[in-house]
Amino acid sequence: MHKRTILPALVGTLLLAACGGNEPPQQVQPQPDSAALAAERARQAELEEQRRREAAERERLRREEEARRRAEEEAARAREIIEQMVHFEFDKSDIGPEAERILTEKVGVLRANPAVSLRIVGHADERGSDEYNIALGMRRAQAVKTFLTGFGLAPDRFETVSRGEEQPLNPASNEMAWAQNRRAEFVVTAGQVTKLQ
Amino acid sequence: MRRFWLLFLIAYAAPLAAQQDTTRLPTGVRLGLIYQTLQRPLLAVRPFTADFALAGVAEQTYAIVRRDLDYSDRFEMYETPPQLAEGPVDYAQWNGLGVVYVVTGSVQPLGPDGVLLRLALHDVVYGHIKEIRAFELPAGGTPEFRMAVHAAADEVVRWATGQRGMAASRIAFVLSTADGGSELMVVDSDGENVQRIAASSQTIMTPVWSPDGRRIAYTMLKPDGGWEVVERDLSSGDVRVIAADAPLNLTPAYSPDGSRLALAVWSRTGTDIYAYDVAGACCLEPLRTGPGEDMSPTYSPDGRQIAFMSDRIGQPHIYIMPAEGGEATLLTPYVYGEAGYYTAPDWSPQSSLVAFTGRSRGRLQVMVADSRDPGGTVRQLTDSGSSEDPSWAPDGRHIVFKGVRAEGRGLYVMDAVSGRTRPLLLRGGVRLPDWSPSLQEASAPAVRGE
Repeated sequence: MHKRTILPALVGTLLLAACGGNEPPQQVQPQPDSAALAAERARQAELEEQRRREAAERERLRREEEARRRAEEEAARAREIIEQMVHFEFDKSDIGPEAERILTEKVGVLRANPAVSLRIVGHADERGSDEYNIALGMRRAQAVKTFLTGFGLAPDRFETVSRGEEQPLNPASNEMAWAQNRRAEFVVTAGQVTKLQ
Repeated sequence: MRRFWLLFLIAYAAPLAAQQDTTRLPTGVRLGLIYQTLQRPLLAVRPFTADFALAGVAEQTYAIVRRDLDYSDRFEMYETPPQLAEGPVDYAQWNGLGVVYVVTGSVQPLGPDGVLLRLALHDVVYGHIKEIRAFELPAGGTPEFRMAVHAAADEVVRWATGQRGMAASRIAFVLSTADGGSELMVVDSDGENVQRIAASSQTIMTPVWSPDGRRIAYTMLKPDGGWEVVERDLSSGDVRVIAADAPLNLTPAYSPDGSRLALAVWSRTGTDIYAYDVAGACCLEPLRTGPGEDMSPTYSPDGRQIAFMSDRIGQPHIYIMPAEGGEATLLTPYVYGEAGYYTAPDWSPQSSLVAFTGRSRGRLQVMVADSRDPGGTVRQLTDSGSSEDPSWAPDGRHIVFKGVRAEGRGLYVMDAVSGRTRPLLLRGGVRLPDWSPSLQEASAPAVRGE
């Protein structure tokens, strides 16, 4: 907007200065119009200020974007930690070392997001009787809840349910599939997981 | 080679060590049947006679009766020779063939579309008619027709052995569908007439028949993740909730008089066993509470005792206690340091025997123990593939179970006395069978004899 009005004005001034018409050239030192000059300087300063503001705005946006991205990454990582399932030994509901590591990570995230509630879903592998496996899944979910509340987290933040052997992750019938299927899963039932700590 | 074994050991030794010995039977369990196998008498069924108009019905009725007598596993079936298929029963000739019983039958019209079936059991050894009776049948082709013929066949079994057959009965079971839902199904004891009773997008489990055969109670997963016990009226289709408050309500079982429904309910320390008042439609009364899982109750025929599963000692075992609760006695063999696994008991409707699922050599198998002999020897009835979820037939002799065998996955029926086993329904996803009581007493018509 400004550029468009300033440019023709400049060109006009130069043309006026360069063209003397038919008059013989006079040794007249062109006297800069002090008012025009001041206006021009002001314009230049304004332009500079404009550029500075724009750069600052860009930087602000970049930082905001960066912060947003970081927050998103943090939230995604936090959700990942919350949703990471834990696995169990055959016929057991004990929290093993690996499960302990995973659950301890969850504790930090749950503390940072006090509005979050979880449903803990216990599962069993296909071996064993169908109905006893429902109880086994429940025991696993309960063991996880007991571990988490042991860190001082409020018990009413956790709901425990069991699916027994009804929903295998891996439908195959071998040691690997069974190990994958003996698990507790985590579903956020209230609040949003946003913070890591 | 040595390195391979080392790798093998590292990869597999630990999980194997944690499990049961897969090479030998658990201590206190031995392979076997429940009684000495007796000589089964030879029995022949002659083609039934009929007026021309009912020839088709006669043929159908004959086929059902003949197969029911075969499936009773009480007789060795003998094919009727053509020269003995008609006319008066020639006892001398039959006797010469070693046949002990001959069944003859005839059908004639009864009312507008009913059928009168006359059956006679001939005792060849004594050369006389042991029993004879007429049975009223509804119109051929109806589901009631098949059940009425089964009831007649069950009577013939009673004439010969003193104990009713189990043909007039159905088996309820669960069919799990590929999309994660399930269907509550029933099938006649001979594998015919498969019907869907209910379908759910959620899991249905452990159906059980009421003693009058009119209702089925079962466990169902609710959308909120809890498990509830409901009761469905088979004629009206009405469903009523029995227990749904706790997160787990599982494994219902009717008392023999139908007045109570025992079930497992989750509390903080595991599942406990409660009794629900069916008639009063009210109240859960605790029968067994405490740590560990107590579940899968099943009443004795006199209703005075309950067998159930408990893992209070760290592994699931079968126990017996008074029906109103009280001190429990361990039924299955517990051996220190050995991984015992016994679940899903079902008390015979006729005797002191309790069938259940046991883990043996790394697989689930059907086993039987005598409630009069706690800690005594357990008989492992099945040994091929895997077999689980046993349920007794009303004759206290046959057992239906879910099996995975060379013939396929599905439901199998085993005669616990002879060991004879037949597929009932071969299909993936079927499980948790429960055998109904006798569904029909043979209807006695006004006419009797010939």
